Amino acid sequence: MILETLSTILLISGAFFSLTGAIGLFKFPDFFTRVHAASVTDSIATILIISGLILRTDFDLVAIKLLFILVFLLLTSPTASHALAKSARHGGLLTLAEIRDTQNKDNG
Amino acid sequence: MDRKTIIYLVTWTLILAVFWLLLSGFFKPLLLSFGLASVVLVVVLVRRMDNTDNQPQKPSLSLPFFRYIAWLLGQIVLSSSQVAKLVWGSSKRLSPTTTKLPVAHIPEDSRVLYANSITMTPGTLSVDIDDNYVTVHALREDSIKSLQGGKMANSVANISGDKN
Repeated sequence: MILETLSTILLISGAFFSLTGAIGLFKFPDFFTRVHAASVTDSIATILIISGLILRTDFDLVAIKLLFILVFLLLTSPTASHALAKSARHGGLLTLAEIRDTQNKDNG
Repeated sequence: MDRKTIIYLVTWTLILAVFWLLLSGFFKPLLLSFGLASVVLVVVLVRRMDNTDNQPQKPSLSLPFFRYIAWLLGQIVLSSSQVAKLVWGSSKRLSPTTTKLPVAHIPEDSRVLYANSITMTPGTLSVDIDDNYVTVHALREDSIKSLQGGKMANSVANISGDKN
């Protein structure tokens, strides 16, 4: 009973952070800031939802498999974000601050 | 083959066998022999590849490592709530910044862990890494300052210090 309540709380807050990530993805101004919004979904929402699911198992092999999923997601999703950001950078995409600097230089 | 290599290979065999058993959960002779075959195959591959690239990867499951992971989870919770506040609040409070942080004092093996930890905590994103610097993009200048404080860098450097 306690476990179930705890798991519900974890799942709902996980869903909240997923939604936050999605809204941030639309709201933030440029590519790099949007990656930050997506990483909210990547990290905290994953942790909350999977721990919520683990509390609903019988703590058998299923729980361990969920734990493996969590570990591998936490290992791979930052790598994916990094690969995105790195290729954007090497492709010549400028951050907001850099765009502002170039504009100032052009004007002055 | 010297003693160290044998211990290293036995460690990997044990880890892989436990991993396979946890994933499968079946104890029929046929499936167990499949598991044994795949573990042997992977260990042979590991040995051959180590002979080729001369960079054997020790499994780093020490106590400082787990302490670091616990600390990192705490940081993820803290910075996630900050970013959530930024998402729901006014977007004028954003101050995106790019900075270079030195990584020369961190052992090469641990730089991946450091860059990955930076990306994993929302609000900071490692964009590029080379021999001396990691380029970090942050949503707010505060988070850059706390990275420059060097707590994360020091704890990452400490893990491998204990390992070697």
